[in-house]
Amino acid sequence: MEGSMAERGAHVFSCGYQNSTRFWFPCVDSYSELCTWKLEYTVDAAMVAVSNGDLVETVYTHDMRKKTFHYMLTIPTAASNISLAIGPFEILVDPYMHEVTHFCLPQLLPLLKHTTSYLHEVFEFYEEILTCRYPYSCFKTVFIDEAYVEVAAYASMSIFSTNLLHSAMIIDETPLTRRCLAQALAQQFFGCFISRMSWSDEWVLKGISGYIYGLWMKKTFGVNEYRHWIKQELDQIVAYELKTGGVLLHPIFGGGKEKDNPASHLHFSIKHPHTLSWEYYTMFQCKAHLVMRLIENRISMEFMLQVFNKLLSLASTASSQKFQSHMWSQMLVSTSGFLKSISNVSGKDIQPLIKQWVDQSGVVKFYGSFAFNRKRNVLELEIKQDYTSPGTQKYVGPLKVTVQELDGSFNHTLQIEENSLKHDIPCHSKSRRNKKKKIPLMNGEEVDMDLSAMDADSPLLWIRIDPDMSVLRKVEFEQSDFMWQYQLRYERDVVAQEEAILALEKFPTPASRLALTDILEQEQCFYRVRMLACFCLAKIANSMVSTWTGPPAMKSLFTRMFCCKSCPNIVKTNNFMNFQSYFLQKTMPVAMALLRDVHNLCPKEVLMFILDLIKYNDNRKNKFSDNYYRAELIDALANSVTPAVSVNNEVRTLDNLNPDVRLILEEITRFLNMEKLLPSYRHTITVSCLKAIRVLQKNGHVPSDPALFKSYAEYGHFVDVRIAALEAVVDYTKVDRSYEELQWLLTMVQNDPVPYIRHKILDMLTKNPPFTKNMESPLCNEALVDQLWKLMNSGTSHDWRLRCGAVDLYFTLFGLSRPSCLPLPELGLVLNLKEKKAVLNPTIIPESVGNTQEPVNSTNNHGQSVGFQNTEDDHLVKETASSISGHQQGVKRKADMPLGSPLEPGQILEKNEDSKVKLKIRFSNSQEEEEIDMDTVHDSQAFIYHHLNMLERPSTPGKEQSSGEINMHPVSTAPLSVFSKESNSSKHSDHHHHHHHEHKKKKKKHKHKHKHKHKHDSKEKEKDPFAFSNSPASARSIRSPSLSD
Amino acid sequence: MPRPGSSERGGAVCPQRSGSKQPTTPADNYYLARRRTLQVVVSSLLTEAGFESAEKAAVETLTEMLQSYISEIGRSAKSYCEHTARTQPTLSDIVVTLVEMGFNVETLPAYAKRSQRMVITAPPVTNQPVTPKALTAGQNKPHPSHIPGHFPEFPDPHTYIKTPTYREPVSDYQVLREKAASQRRDVERALTRFMAKTGETQSLFKDDVSTFPLIAARPFTVPYLTALLPSELEMQQMEETDSSEQDDQTDTENLPLHMSTDDSGPEKENASVLQQNTSLSGSRNGEENVIDNPYLRPVKKPKIRRKK
Repeated sequence: MEGSMAERGAHVFSCGYQNSTRFWFPCVDSYSELCTWKLEYTVDAAMVAVSNGDLVETVYTHDMRKKTFHYMLTIPTAASNISLAIGPFEILVDPYMHEVTHFCLPQLLPLLKHTTSYLHEVFEFYEEILTCRYPYSCFKTVFIDEAYVEVAAYASMSIFSTNLLHSAMIIDETPLTRRCLAQALAQQFFGCFISRMSWSDEWVLKGISGYIYGLWMKKTFGVNEYRHWIKQELDQIVAYELKTGGVLLHPIFGGGKEKDNPASHLHFSIKHPHTLSWEYYTMFQCKAHLVMRLIENRISMEFMLQVFNKLLSLASTASSQKFQSHMWSQMLVSTSGFLKSISNVSGKDIQPLIKQWVDQSGVVKFYGSFAFNRKRNVLELEIKQDYTSPGTQKYVGPLKVTVQELDGSFNHTLQIEENSLKHDIPCHSKSRRNKKKKIPLMNGEEVDMDLSAMDADSPLLWIRIDPDMSVLRKVEFEQSDFMWQYQLRYERDVVAQEEAILALEKFPTPASRLALTDILEQEQCFYRVRMLACFCLAKIANSMVSTWTGPPAMKSLFTRMFCCKSCPNIVKTNNFMNFQSYFLQKTMPVAMALLRDVHNLCPKEVLMFILDLIKYNDNRKNKFSDNYYRAELIDALANSVTPAVSVNNEVRTLDNLNPDVRLILEEITRFLNMEKLLPSYRHTITVSCLKAIRVLQKNGHVPSDPALFKSYAEYGHFVDVRIAALEAVVDYTKVDRSYEELQWLLTMVQNDPVPYIRHKILDMLTKNPPFTKNMESPLCNEALVDQLWKLMNSGTSHDWRLRCGAVDLYFTLFGLSRPSCLPLPELGLVLNLKEKKAVLNPTIIPESVGNTQEPVNSTNNHGQSVGFQNTEDDHLVKETASSISGHQQGVKRKADMPLGSPLEPGQILEKNEDSKVKLKIRFSNSQEEEEIDMDTVHDSQAFIYHHLNMLERPSTPGKEQSSGEINMHPVSTAPLSVFSKESNSSKHSDHHHHHHHEHKKKKKKHKHKHKHKHKHDSKEKEKDPFAFSNSPASARSIRSPSLSD
Repeated sequence: MPRPGSSERGGAVCPQRSGSKQPTTPADNYYLARRRTLQVVVSSLLTEAGFESAEKAAVETLTEMLQSYISEIGRSAKSYCEHTARTQPTLSDIVVTLVEMGFNVETLPAYAKRSQRMVITAPPVTNQPVTPKALTAGQNKPHPSHIPGHFPEFPDPHTYIKTPTYREPVSDYQVLREKAASQRRDVERALTRFMAKTGETQSLFKDDVSTFPLIAARPFTVPYLTALLPSELEMQQMEETDSSEQDDQTDTENLPLHMSTDDSGPEKENASVLQQNTSLSGSRNGEENVIDNPYLRPVKKPKIRRKK
């Protein structure tokens, strides 16, 4: 691409997950180490440097070719919340709040204007509920390309993905982007301004920011959307915990003993944020805000907000104490401090709640059933719990049950105790019914119901367990189909409606059909419920296929709602002014395409109907873009595809193509080609086309071939397109067991310029693995084991998310034991001299089915050795190495092995005796190594003294400055090369911390000076080979994954 | 007499052909007679100026100039008189015209009374030619009662009477939609096929590359731009459907400094919003609308350090 760097849109930004600021400047990279900041950035004159705090002034350099941006952040802030973005940004001052400035890449200003036009309302909302001003004097939003995460919040600024920008014509992206903005802003208060004391307090910050974000959701999108969201989050966390065995919000690590590891069910350690699986961390945040909501249920929202206000006002008082840094600890939140202010404010004891959900992992699994005792007029409810499966826990305490009877809706609070399963609930109504009478609902509304479907003996309409979702639970409740139907029709809570829809899938009867159709037609009904009803209706129709009467499900409904009155086969020209019906119009064809006839084929009528929708689609008069609608129509086409009938495995050619598929393929070809000429927003149509082609391949209509997808997965396509293409390649790898494609994917994981893509490939491979641990596969071989082992142990230390992704994939493919494709280790016996015992090498013992039966310590050990060497292992290595001569060679061989990526960006992580994690950054141009403590240290002062004592020659801040200068020099000679992002940050991921060094940077800390130790430590070096590259693939490896002491 | 007709003759049709063919129509005679008089005038003026003979071409040219000049006086005078809502030009119209044309009117009486002037006979009286009437078709409609009689007559009926065509244009909704849809589909298919034919393609079938040709995927240098910005077609649609959106779309195209403050529209509502929002505005004054944002401030010149 031609042009200067500014014209090419070159930019840099800091990124990373949790505390990773030390990658771009030396600092005490901990969330608990606060100081004030003065930041200076000298950049090309065409660029803008956006950083934390107030921009004091911008000054040209003497040659007038560069500018220096001077920033001042007077609010004490942790280094981990410092960020930077530099690029030829377009600047937009918020028209509502002039202290807020938005930045985006060139040419996107119109989109930026539209996207951020809403932000001031979010500000107002948070300030109002927290009764607290926004803590910083300014706020900046920067939208950048190839973002590491969609939303990253730092002190007084947030970095967003540029893909969140949208124009006024886009419907679907608007709420998503607004949610991202609101999320980022919530984290400004809790996360940036108020930081955490230690890693185990993270849940408080994530919880509060997630909770107030939820309040914003409720206000902005309404109670229905909010409850739907809560239910969705709850389902997610429950599914994840049941799958993996639990998410622990507040881990307490006693004494560092492995046996105390609170997360022994996981294949990674939760002691440290950087060893967490990304999925676990996402779920962790989800659980945190759900638990905050539980606390709110307990102490009331008013008290909750008072607690937040108290935290904030304490912090802001502390932050204004410029010369009393001991006060600054008020700006850190800890679990105990948080709980203390809750009990101070509310006077309530929430300890049991905390113990249940915060100090303990697992969710509750209820099974409920009931019987109505007519004689006693009593509802006999039986609630069982499963607390033995992984990820579950026993619940003891109150549980709300809502019973809708003929005479009204009644709440009952049951006390769930150790051994009581049965609960008797007296009924208020007599079963004899007065036909004329209206039935009062929970919300006071009175409705007429057709009660003919009811059981004549029982006054019960429906029963709900824990309707307010005040327990983190999964409920499987049994009630008859008519009760679910009543619940769907008349219960006003969207969660209840959704539950009823899911339950009705099991009752394919005409009555269910009628209930669902009625809901679909009801315009007052929440649109998500109606959308869900579409899919349920399709499932029911398929189950009832032999008795189904009338046109295919939803067809006449769609015709009535969206087609012309005069010609029912032609859809009206698009008008998406009503968003509810827009979403319904999008969803119905997708659900309809799932219909199958008696031969298990999609009915011809339906296919033709969808093709007509595509044909007559006319968006010329519409104010909004129809790209999402068209994309869903393609999804509908893909849904209609059924497996090809193949005769003796004939080769797929054009001649034997099914005529229906030919029609589908023609549409896809045309759409995909039109995208090249008139691309749609976020290329949604290309994405859908690629997915549809993969469906056609998988069903044997089109020859299976990854070449097309590989070309779309290349760097230079829009990220959504790449992900869709990669997903198809991942799927191909699994179905066709192609070693070549797997290698191609793994090469991309190592080399792709975009960190998100690298992460996503591993993520998709984990979710859709080519084989799993108990499966024989030709793909499972030694080289693969070696490759993955290398990936998670070296070369990825700068990108934790990626490394943990590799760990997840390794675990999915091979489990915790020695991969079956490896030869047996030579050592049958392992001697542990320290504990003076010998055990059979556990790697020889084949892994029993399911990882949960694994010996606990083997699990722990593996979890630890993935990221870190632990002390005991080190001993073991040394001792065994000295006793058995063969080992040394083995180790050496591994050490000499060329590493996947240069050592330089890799930081050598080690665990040493005092269980602090040390980090060494090796600068490329100086051989000095710096050791910085990066653990989230509680007692920072003590820690610094500790290190001061250890210092052989204390380094002064001046010294630090000079090391900064060294790093700065390459820039002045070749400033342009810094931004060699060929239109993008192609080099960011590999070298992102260099980049930043190349900007002149001076940091002066006002209070806390940092202490650095500069020394060449030769002692540590000899350990380096052990720190990584011990592959289990080596037959001699003494440190295979499940070696135990 | 090569080219006697000129545009100044008020569009009167002058079917004279070059050459010495004798004029035939009365209109021609009328014009020729006047032209001849002009020629005589020119010749006498030349004689007066002391010429003894002149080439024919020179006389013709001067005649042409004189004719133009007189025509212009007439045209201009007509304009002036019509400007003052008269139909007959007065002397003052002529005077103004002459002044306008740069002629010194005061010299005119002296010139008229000069001694050596020649008297020229008036052109022979011929009848003003009658413009042939256009073929009338049908009877002109009489004025309806509400139109006063002094208004011009109705034009010929054929100029306003509806003439039915043979086929009604299609206005059936269904057919129109059908037509629009298939037309668009045909255009799209033809276009994509053309693009596929002329560029690189990919195919889903190894044995057949022409039935479903896919235009090859080509990476972009800046992929997010095409993905996020609305296409030109969509922009056009936006303008058609909602003109209020236009401003957002156009005004920011190529600002050299990439700066915009967007304080035009919402500024009015701002006053209240901003007052509520004082938490953010430590320094701002609700009355002033000058935006003080550090990113909009000019870049400072470096301080010159003295060398010691």
